Amino acid sequence: MSAAAIPVEQIKTITMSIYRFDPSLDKKPYMQDLVIAIPTDKDIMVLDALHLAKEQEPSLSYRRSCREGVCGSDGMNINGKNGLACVTPLSEVLKRGKITLRPMPGLPVVRDLIVDMKQFFDQLEKVKPYLITKSDNPDIERIQTPEDREELDGLYECILCGCCSTSCPSFWWNPDKFLGPAALLQSWRFIADTRDEATEERLDDLEDAFSLYRCHGIMNCVSVCPKGLNPTEAISNIRNKLLTREKN
Amino acid sequence: MIEKDNRPVNLNLLTISLPIIGVTSILHRISGLAVFFSFPLIVWVFSISLKSENSFSMLSGLFQSSFLFKAITFLILVGFSYHLLAGFKKLISDAFGVGETLESGRVLSWLVIGTTCLMALFYLIYLF
Repeated sequence: MSAAAIPVEQIKTITMSIYRFDPSLDKKPYMQDLVIAIPTDKDIMVLDALHLAKEQEPSLSYRRSCREGVCGSDGMNINGKNGLACVTPLSEVLKRGKITLRPMPGLPVVRDLIVDMKQFFDQLEKVKPYLITKSDNPDIERIQTPEDREELDGLYECILCGCCSTSCPSFWWNPDKFLGPAALLQSWRFIADTRDEATEERLDDLEDAFSLYRCHGIMNCVSVCPKGLNPTEAISNIRNKLLTREKN
Repeated sequence: MIEKDNRPVNLNLLTISLPIIGVTSILHRISGLAVFFSFPLIVWVFSISLKSENSFSMLSGLFQSSFLFKAITFLILVGFSYHLLAGFKKLISDAFGVGETLESGRVLSWLVIGTTCLMALFYLIYLF
């Protein structure tokens, strides 16, 4: 979408205040205000507005791929709240003609709106987000009842954008020890899976002061999840599982 | 390649929005800390009140006349009430899974804040 292609009467301008940092040029990050022209005859997404800003300021960097909330690349802090730029309508976040974009909080900034997700994926790796089986492979696939399969609804949909974990104060202060909402949601996704045969080991791995129990129910994760998932509930389910298995 | 430690982190808390459930949680911590540090004061005042009949009536007089005394008592009572209620909220969430959706969490948070305000009003009328 080029601003020049839109008729003049259908253009209004907005100010985008964007976090800028180029490690080869800047010692410190700074906020840059860009005034861009947007069409008035339709709503556009924050990601579209970023494309328009990049036409004006080609050095502006951000991640994007599918542009429809599936790949989870363009997670960023929009007016103080994490979200996916591609599925956030500009009209919903524009305040007095202004929008502020910052990188997701708590992770090291690589450049502009791009953060290094290593800490996030390191934590995901710890929960072994794949099916673990010990029994011999059956002749056909490992079957599940429709009811058992339903247990995974609200868990498997996670796209690992990182919006939840980077909005969690417990993750900010202990990104290496507290697994964070995204990894814990995946942990419960496999604990709850009736085909998985490593439930006890998975629970053993979570039984320390930090991995799981640093969750204090702040629920920022639930309020920002672009897929409407509920990591707080998943964490609570794991906690209940940990407590009830002691009695067995 | 820049050193890892030199990379900036966006963590200016003033720019990050905190929903009401988060505010309740942070206040729970702050009130807990405040109540904890006010405890020696309470014990000290209590010990003075038990020393003699004179010291008791002196303290009782202070409660009647001193605005500062009343204000400190008011703050301690409000902090304690809030901490207690937010603690109940947490226990109810942990035990029964109530308040784990965004909506019910918000309702519970407002309930805790609202009840604390009502109790504060009651203390205000009672003390002043």
